[in-house]
Amino acid sequence: MDAQPIIELDHIVTRFGTQSIHDGVSLKVNRGEVVALIGGSGSGKSVLLKELVGLIRPTSGTARLFGEDVWAANGEQLNRLRQRFGMLFQDGALFSSLNVAQNVAIPLLEHTQLDKAECMRLARLKLALAGLPESAATKMPSELSGGMRKRTALARALALDPELLFLDEPTSGLDPISARAFDQLIRVLSDGLGLTVFLITHDLDTLLSIIDRVIVLADHQILADGSVATLQKIDNPWLRDYFSARARTEEH
Amino acid sequence: MAAPRISSEQLTDDMTIRVSGDWLLPNLAHLGQATLAALPSADATLDGAELTALDTSGALRLLEIMRDAGADPQQITCVNFSKAHAAVFELVARNFADSMITTLPVREGMLAHIGRSSLASWRHICGTTNFVGKISYQAFQLLRHPGEFRSKEFITQIETVFVNAIPLAFAMMFLMGVVFAYLLGNQAEQYGASIFVVDGVSLAMSRELAPVLVAILVAGRSGAAMTAQIGSMKVNDEVDAISVLGLSPYNVLVVPRILALLIALPLLVFIGDIAGILGGMLIAERQLGIGAYAFIARLDQVLPVKTVLLGLIKAPVFALFIGVIACRMGLTVAHDAQSVGANTTSTVVQSIVAVIIINAMFAVAFVELGF
Repeated sequence: MDAQPIIELDHIVTRFGTQSIHDGVSLKVNRGEVVALIGGSGSGKSVLLKELVGLIRPTSGTARLFGEDVWAANGEQLNRLRQRFGMLFQDGALFSSLNVAQNVAIPLLEHTQLDKAECMRLARLKLALAGLPESAATKMPSELSGGMRKRTALARALALDPELLFLDEPTSGLDPISARAFDQLIRVLSDGLGLTVFLITHDLDTLLSIIDRVIVLADHQILADGSVATLQKIDNPWLRDYFSARARTEEH
Repeated sequence: MAAPRISSEQLTDDMTIRVSGDWLLPNLAHLGQATLAALPSADATLDGAELTALDTSGALRLLEIMRDAGADPQQITCVNFSKAHAAVFELVARNFADSMITTLPVREGMLAHIGRSSLASWRHICGTTNFVGKISYQAFQLLRHPGEFRSKEFITQIETVFVNAIPLAFAMMFLMGVVFAYLLGNQAEQYGASIFVVDGVSLAMSRELAPVLVAILVAGRSGAAMTAQIGSMKVNDEVDAISVLGLSPYNVLVVPRILALLIALPLLVFIGDIAGILGGMLIAERQLGIGAYAFIARLDQVLPVKTVLLGLIKAPVFALFIGVIACRMGLTVAHDAQSVGANTTSTVVQSIVAVIIINAMFAVAFVELGF
């Protein structure tokens, strides 16, 4: 295992017009870690994720994936980089004109030289790994429930056996049972496949169960970085409210 | 990167299969059709001492090769595997059976296909009738309670359907008048009947060309926009949100749009009439030497108001059909992007066909009625 961090953000500054989103955000994620990014609504978590995957250009600062500068890479380099990670969008972002198995097979068909039958078998494997029943494979995305859409999107993110997985609110909109099962699935995949996972979440249960390290984004900067236990000891009003929101519900 | 390899060897009485190299997705294409000699029994031993990398795709291929050689994926014993590789292998072996299921797409016979499309057409007819009934009811409700009319939405629609379409309708019909007068003038000049260009242009424009062409323009421009907008709102559950707020989507979305079209189209047709005649006037002066005064004097003699009105009277009927088709197709969009595209296309096609058919019916009716 190399010691080089998989994700490295260095003094990211983002401004939309006069509105400042990030003001000097730096963070590192090492291989094999499951790291969560938390922060209030509108604190720029999704923007940070989009800057990492090369969708939104930061005003200044560098974003490195696998040691390569995302925003210095040309189109071809960026696409090669993009084959090394998978991304799960918040609402799944499944292609509505393709069925579930085809959605998962798309990256395989586009980026490998394998024949179609083998791509479809691999797609089936990813669907099974994501915990989808075999009957779902021929359904269209519009026929799926929210949880099944998320699982399909996860299967697509896993299609190319990436080393790194970005998840944007993986458990939002899922019932608690599905959400916990999804958490466990991510942990199993992370342990088994040595995946590095970087996820945005609002879900405290996810934080408490599967996360190695939490990074808190607030006031345009990194407020804290550490394990859940460390964060709970930090004396900050926002963090206190964040964790006590759960403590209070448990008392009832 | 080390190429993936697989080989088997007989040790004492047990068969051991050795794997080595990087069993990773990008290497699988190079592996080609690697096969293994048939195994004596279903339980095999897999030695991974020289395995340097393994991902889920590699594990699946490995299991496929072993299954083809006669091994049972559930009874393979892994030895000398690193902990991570063993975990991946075990995860894939557990899901192996599910990966091998292939459901073939069901192919329908011709009869089933005809039946299905007949049923779809029947449902479409019933749905349209139902829709027309609903908007009629809604329109009568509005007559009883005029306060519920969404005037703001109506004014916005008038702006997009009428005001913003004026330059395009004017330019299109002006050029139409230019082309028509030029071609007609070329022929008429040979007979020394240049002045008849005025008759030709004014009658053709006001009675047929302007109503039909402007209606087709509006179908392509505003009809498509209405379907796409209502359809996207449907995809985003906005239409349901309107219902849940205790409002009627028909009242909020459909009635103002159809009413705006009913008012906009006759006005646009009138603008088209004028533009076409102006285009003809330009050519008459440039090419045939008929001055503006002479043109207008002739126009006064040959173009009765009745002819202009016959052209204009068709416009609200076209508008009604375009509006009903566009709104209905918008509201029947399913929950995906493809359906928005399909319904928008369908709106334009249906509207244009409707305009042409209705125009033909009007032409026959006017002749029979002696207009």
